[in-house]
Amino acid sequence: MTPILVGTITVVAVLLVGLGVLSTLARRRIGLAHLVAAGLLEVLLLLQAALATASLAGGHRPEETATFVSYLVGVVVVPVAGVLWARTERTRWAGSVLAVAGAVVGVMVWRLLQLWEATGA
Amino acid sequence: MREQGALGAPAESGGEPGTSGRGRVLVAVYATFALAAGARAAVQIATRFGEAPVAYLLSALAAVVYVVATVGLARGGPRGRRAALVAITVELIGVLVVGTLSLADPAAFPDETVWSAYGRGYYFVPLVLPVLGLLQLRSARQQAAQKSPPKSPPPKSP
Repeated sequence: MTPILVGTITVVAVLLVGLGVLSTLARRRIGLAHLVAAGLLEVLLLLQAALATASLAGGHRPEETATFVSYLVGVVVVPVAGVLWARTERTRWAGSVLAVAGAVVGVMVWRLLQLWEATGA
Repeated sequence: MREQGALGAPAESGGEPGTSGRGRVLVAVYATFALAAGARAAVQIATRFGEAPVAYLLSALAAVVYVVATVGLARGGPRGRRAALVAITVELIGVLVVGTLSLADPAAFPDETVWSAYGRGYYFVPLVLPVLGLLQLRSARQQAAQKSPPKSPPPKSP
Protein backbone atom coordinates (compact mmCIF):
# COMPACT_ATOMS: atom_id res chain seq x y z
CA MET A 1 0.00 0.00 0.00
CA THR A 2 2.14 2.88 -1.20
CA PRO A 3 1.12 6.25 -2.63
CA ILE A 4 3.23 5.47 -5.72
CA LEU A 5 1.30 2.30 -6.51
CA VAL A 6 -2.00 4.03 -5.76
CA GLY A 7 -0.96 6.88 -8.07
CA THR A 8 -0.07 4.45 -10.86
CA ILE A 9 -3.39 2.65 -10.44
CA THR A 10 -5.19 6.00 -10.59
CA VAL A 11 -3.45 6.91 -13.86
CA VAL A 12 -4.49 3.61 -15.46
CA ALA A 13 -8.03 3.96 -14.06
CA VAL A 14 -8.32 7.47 -15.52
CA LEU A 15 -7.03 6.12 -18.84
CA LEU A 16 -9.78 3.49 -18.75
CA VAL A 17 -12.39 6.17 -18.01
CA GLY A 18 -11.09 8.20 -20.96
CA LEU A 19 -11.16 5.23 -23.35
CA GLY A 20 -14.66 4.30 -22.21
CA VAL A 21 -16.04 7.80 -22.72
CA LEU A 22 -14.25 8.02 -26.07
CA SER A 23 -15.88 4.89 -27.46
CA THR A 24 -19.29 6.06 -26.27
CA LEU A 25 -18.76 9.40 -28.02
CA ALA A 26 -17.53 7.56 -31.13
CA ARG A 27 -20.60 5.31 -31.02
CA ARG A 28 -18.53 2.18 -30.77
CA ARG A 29 -18.44 -0.88 -28.59
CA ILE A 30 -15.33 -1.67 -26.58
CA GLY A 31 -12.22 -2.97 -28.30
CA LEU A 32 -8.68 -4.16 -27.68
CA ALA A 33 -7.51 -0.89 -26.12
CA HIS A 34 -10.14 -1.17 -23.40
CA LEU A 35 -9.26 -4.78 -22.66
CA VAL A 36 -5.55 -3.93 -22.40
CA ALA A 37 -6.19 -1.00 -20.05
CA ALA A 38 -8.60 -3.02 -17.91
CA GLY A 39 -6.15 -5.94 -17.85
CA LEU A 40 -3.28 -3.69 -16.76
CA LEU A 41 -5.51 -2.20 -14.09
CA GLU A 42 -6.42 -5.66 -12.84
CA VAL A 43 -2.75 -6.73 -12.68
CA LEU A 44 -1.88 -3.63 -10.63
CA LEU A 45 -4.81 -4.24 -8.28
CA LEU A 46 -3.76 -7.87 -7.77
CA LEU A 47 -0.21 -6.68 -7.05
CA GLN A 48 -1.59 -4.22 -4.53
CA ALA A 49 -3.71 -6.93 -2.90
CA ALA A 50 -0.68 -9.22 -2.66
CA LEU A 51 1.51 -6.50 -1.12
CA ALA A 52 -1.19 -5.49 1.35
CA THR A 53 -1.84 -9.12 2.32
CA ALA A 54 1.87 -9.65 2.93
CA SER A 55 2.00 -6.53 5.06
CA LEU A 56 -1.12 -7.56 7.00
CA ALA A 57 0.49 -10.93 7.65
CA GLY A 58 3.59 -9.07 8.76
CA GLY A 59 1.65 -7.36 11.54
CA HIS A 60 0.50 -4.03 10.07
CA ARG A 61 -3.07 -3.49 11.25
CA PRO A 62 -5.18 -0.61 9.90
CA GLU A 63 -7.71 0.72 12.38
CA GLU A 64 -10.68 -0.66 10.47
CA THR A 65 -9.26 -3.95 9.31
CA ALA A 66 -12.64 -5.43 8.30
CA THR A 67 -13.50 -2.45 6.11
CA PHE A 68 -10.00 -2.40 4.65
CA VAL A 69 -10.07 -6.07 3.69
CA SER A 70 -13.54 -5.80 2.13
CA TYR A 71 -12.38 -2.85 0.03
CA LEU A 72 -9.19 -4.71 -0.91
CA VAL A 73 -11.15 -7.71 -2.15
CA GLY A 74 -13.98 -5.64 -3.63
CA VAL A 75 -11.77 -3.41 -5.77
CA VAL A 76 -10.18 -6.44 -7.46
CA VAL A 77 -13.61 -7.59 -8.67
CA VAL A 78 -14.65 -4.25 -10.17
CA PRO A 79 -12.64 -4.27 -13.45
CA VAL A 80 -13.56 -7.92 -14.08
CA ALA A 81 -17.26 -7.19 -13.58
CA GLY A 82 -16.95 -4.07 -15.75
CA VAL A 83 -15.33 -5.95 -18.64
CA LEU A 84 -17.78 -8.86 -18.48
CA TRP A 85 -20.70 -6.43 -18.52
CA ALA A 86 -19.24 -4.19 -21.22
CA ARG A 87 -18.56 -7.15 -23.53
CA THR A 88 -22.21 -8.19 -23.45
CA GLU A 89 -23.44 -4.63 -23.97
CA ARG A 90 -24.06 -4.17 -27.67
CA THR A 91 -24.87 -0.47 -27.61
CA ARG A 92 -22.39 2.40 -27.52
CA TRP A 93 -22.85 2.60 -23.76
CA ALA A 94 -20.53 -0.37 -23.24
CA GLY A 95 -17.65 2.07 -22.90
CA SER A 96 -19.54 4.11 -20.32
CA VAL A 97 -20.10 1.04 -18.17
CA LEU A 98 -16.36 0.45 -18.25
CA ALA A 99 -15.74 4.13 -17.48
CA VAL A 100 -17.91 3.80 -14.37
CA ALA A 101 -15.86 0.79 -13.31
CA GLY A 102 -12.64 2.77 -13.84
CA ALA A 103 -13.95 5.70 -11.78
CA VAL A 104 -15.02 3.36 -8.98
CA VAL A 105 -11.53 1.82 -8.85
CA GLY A 106 -9.93 5.28 -8.86
CA VAL A 107 -11.97 6.34 -5.85
CA MET A 108 -11.69 3.04 -4.00
CA VAL A 109 -7.87 2.87 -4.07
CA TRP A 110 -7.58 6.30 -2.44
CA ARG A 111 -10.07 5.28 0.22
CA LEU A 112 -7.98 2.13 0.71
CA LEU A 113 -4.84 4.19 1.19
CA GLN A 114 -6.69 6.38 3.71
CA LEU A 115 -7.81 3.32 5.66
CA TRP A 116 -4.32 1.85 5.47
CA GLU A 117 -2.62 4.91 6.89
CA ALA A 118 -5.09 5.23 9.78
CA THR A 119 -3.44 2.77 12.15
CA GLY A 120 -5.06 2.32 15.52
CA ALA A 121 -2.40 3.30 18.02
CA MET B 1 -9.18 -1.00 -39.79
CA ARG B 2 -6.84 -0.56 -36.86
CA GLU B 3 -9.04 1.97 -35.12
CA GLN B 4 -11.93 -0.44 -35.21
CA GLY B 5 -9.80 -3.06 -33.47
CA ALA B 6 -8.60 -0.69 -30.78
CA LEU B 7 -11.74 1.25 -30.06
CA GLY B 8 -14.20 -1.50 -30.86
CA ALA B 9 -16.72 -2.33 -33.53
CA PRO B 10 -19.49 0.13 -34.34
CA ALA B 11 -22.26 -0.01 -31.79
CA GLU B 12 -25.77 -1.13 -32.41
CA SER B 13 -28.26 1.60 -31.79
CA GLY B 14 -31.35 1.37 -29.71
CA GLY B 15 -32.27 -1.58 -27.58
CA GLU B 16 -35.31 -2.95 -25.90
CA PRO B 17 -37.78 -0.39 -24.60
CA GLY B 18 -36.90 0.88 -21.16
CA THR B 19 -33.47 -0.71 -21.22
CA SER B 20 -31.61 1.94 -23.18
CA GLY B 21 -27.84 1.94 -22.92
CA ARG B 22 -27.91 5.10 -20.86
CA GLY B 23 -30.19 3.32 -18.43
CA ARG B 24 -27.69 0.47 -18.23
CA VAL B 25 -24.98 2.88 -17.14
CA LEU B 26 -27.27 4.15 -14.40
CA VAL B 27 -27.88 0.56 -13.34
CA ALA B 28 -24.11 0.11 -13.09
CA VAL B 29 -23.81 3.12 -10.79
CA TYR B 30 -26.77 1.97 -8.69
CA ALA B 31 -25.28 -1.52 -8.43
CA THR B 32 -22.04 -0.01 -7.19
CA PHE B 33 -23.87 1.94 -4.50
CA ALA B 34 -25.95 -1.08 -3.52
CA LEU B 35 -22.70 -2.95 -2.99
CA ALA B 36 -20.91 -0.12 -1.21
CA ALA B 37 -23.79 0.72 1.14
CA GLY B 38 -24.48 -2.95 1.80
CA ALA B 39 -20.87 -3.78 2.63
CA ARG B 40 -20.59 -0.71 4.81
CA ALA B 41 -23.77 -1.51 6.73
CA ALA B 42 -22.72 -5.15 7.16
CA VAL B 43 -19.35 -4.18 8.61
CA GLN B 44 -20.83 -1.50 10.87
CA ILE B 45 -23.62 -3.68 12.22
CA ALA B 46 -21.37 -6.71 12.65
CA THR B 47 -18.51 -4.96 14.42
CA ARG B 48 -19.94 -2.06 16.44
CA PHE B 49 -23.73 -1.91 16.30
CA GLY B 50 -24.02 -0.53 19.85
CA GLU B 51 -22.07 2.65 19.10
CA ALA B 52 -24.52 4.26 16.70
CA PRO B 53 -27.51 2.00 16.00
CA VAL B 54 -29.52 4.71 14.24
CA ALA B 55 -26.75 5.57 11.80
CA TYR B 56 -26.02 1.91 11.07
CA LEU B 57 -29.68 1.02 10.57
CA LEU B 58 -29.90 3.97 8.16
CA SER B 59 -26.92 2.55 6.27
CA ALA B 60 -28.76 -0.76 6.03
CA LEU B 61 -31.95 0.98 4.86
CA ALA B 62 -29.95 2.87 2.22
CA ALA B 63 -28.46 -0.42 1.04
CA VAL B 64 -31.93 -1.99 0.68
CA VAL B 65 -33.17 1.07 -1.22
CA TYR B 66 -30.22 0.89 -3.62
CA VAL B 67 -30.74 -2.83 -4.19
CA VAL B 68 -34.44 -2.36 -4.98
CA ALA B 69 -33.67 0.57 -7.30
CA THR B 70 -30.95 -1.44 -9.07
CA VAL B 71 -33.18 -4.46 -9.63
CA GLY B 72 -36.15 -2.29 -10.65
CA LEU B 73 -34.12 -0.29 -13.17
CA ALA B 74 -32.39 -3.39 -14.52
CA ARG B 75 -35.59 -5.39 -15.04
CA GLY B 76 -37.63 -2.53 -16.46
CA GLY B 77 -41.24 -3.08 -17.45
CA PRO B 78 -44.14 -1.46 -15.61
CA ARG B 79 -43.50 -3.37 -12.37
CA GLY B 80 -39.76 -2.80 -12.39
CA ARG B 81 -40.29 0.89 -13.05
CA ARG B 82 -42.82 1.17 -10.23
CA ALA B 83 -40.48 -0.54 -7.76
CA ALA B 84 -37.63 1.69 -8.89
CA LEU B 85 -39.84 4.78 -8.60
CA VAL B 86 -40.71 3.97 -4.99
CA ALA B 87 -37.10 3.16 -4.09
CA ILE B 88 -35.67 6.26 -5.76
CA THR B 89 -38.28 8.50 -4.14
CA VAL B 90 -37.36 7.08 -0.72
CA GLU B 91 -33.72 7.60 -1.65
CA LEU B 92 -34.25 11.26 -2.57
CA ILE B 93 -36.23 11.96 0.61
CA GLY B 94 -33.68 10.00 2.64
CA VAL B 95 -30.66 11.86 1.36
CA LEU B 96 -32.37 15.24 1.89
CA VAL B 97 -33.70 14.46 5.39
CA VAL B 98 -30.60 12.64 6.65
CA GLY B 99 -28.34 15.21 5.02
CA THR B 100 -30.15 18.07 6.73
CA LEU B 101 -30.39 16.32 10.12
CA SER B 102 -26.74 15.28 10.09
CA LEU B 103 -25.72 18.90 9.60
CA ALA B 104 -28.28 20.34 12.03
CA ASP B 105 -27.70 17.82 14.81
CA PRO B 106 -24.30 16.12 14.37
CA ALA B 107 -24.60 14.51 17.81
CA ALA B 108 -27.43 12.30 16.54
CA PHE B 109 -25.13 10.90 13.85
CA PRO B 110 -21.85 10.02 15.55
CA ASP B 111 -20.77 7.92 12.59
CA GLU B 112 -21.14 8.63 8.91
CA THR B 113 -23.85 7.09 6.76
CA VAL B 114 -23.99 7.09 2.97
CA TRP B 115 -26.42 10.00 3.17
CA SER B 116 -24.66 12.10 5.83
CA ALA B 117 -24.11 15.71 4.76
CA TYR B 118 -25.94 14.97 1.48
CA GLY B 119 -23.48 12.21 0.61
CA ARG B 120 -20.35 14.29 1.01
CA GLY B 121 -18.29 11.17 1.77
CA TYR B 122 -19.26 9.84 -1.65
CA TYR B 123 -18.60 13.00 -3.65
CA PHE B 124 -22.32 13.95 -3.49
CA VAL B 125 -23.15 11.14 -5.88
CA PRO B 126 -26.02 10.04 -3.54
CA LEU B 127 -27.59 13.48 -4.05
CA VAL B 128 -27.32 13.47 -7.85
CA LEU B 129 -28.20 9.80 -8.39
CA PRO B 130 -31.92 9.95 -7.46
CA VAL B 131 -32.43 12.95 -9.76
CA LEU B 132 -30.83 11.08 -12.66
CA GLY B 133 -32.85 8.02 -11.70
CA LEU B 134 -36.15 9.88 -11.80
CA LEU B 135 -35.27 11.48 -15.16
CA GLN B 136 -34.35 8.06 -16.55
CA LEU B 137 -37.62 6.56 -15.30
CA ARG B 138 -39.58 9.36 -16.94
CA SER B 139 -37.92 8.88 -20.32
CA ALA B 140 -38.31 5.10 -20.04
CA ARG B 141 -42.01 5.56 -19.32
CA GLN B 142 -42.42 7.87 -22.30
CA GLN B 143 -40.58 5.41 -24.53
CA ALA B 144 -42.78 2.57 -23.37
CA ALA B 145 -45.89 4.69 -23.98
CA GLN B 146 -44.75 5.40 -27.56
CA LYS B 147 -44.09 1.73 -28.28
CA SER B 148 -47.55 0.67 -27.20
CA PRO B 149 -49.99 3.59 -27.58
CA PRO B 150 -53.23 3.38 -25.63
CA LYS B 151 -55.63 1.09 -27.39
CA SER B 152 -58.08 2.87 -29.60
CA PRO B 153 -61.66 1.65 -29.49
CA PRO B 154 -62.25 -1.18 -31.95
CA PRO B 155 -63.82 -0.14 -35.23
CA LYS B 156 -67.53 -0.37 -35.15
CA SER B 157 -68.87 -3.24 -37.10
CA PRO B 158 -71.84 -2.45 -39.23
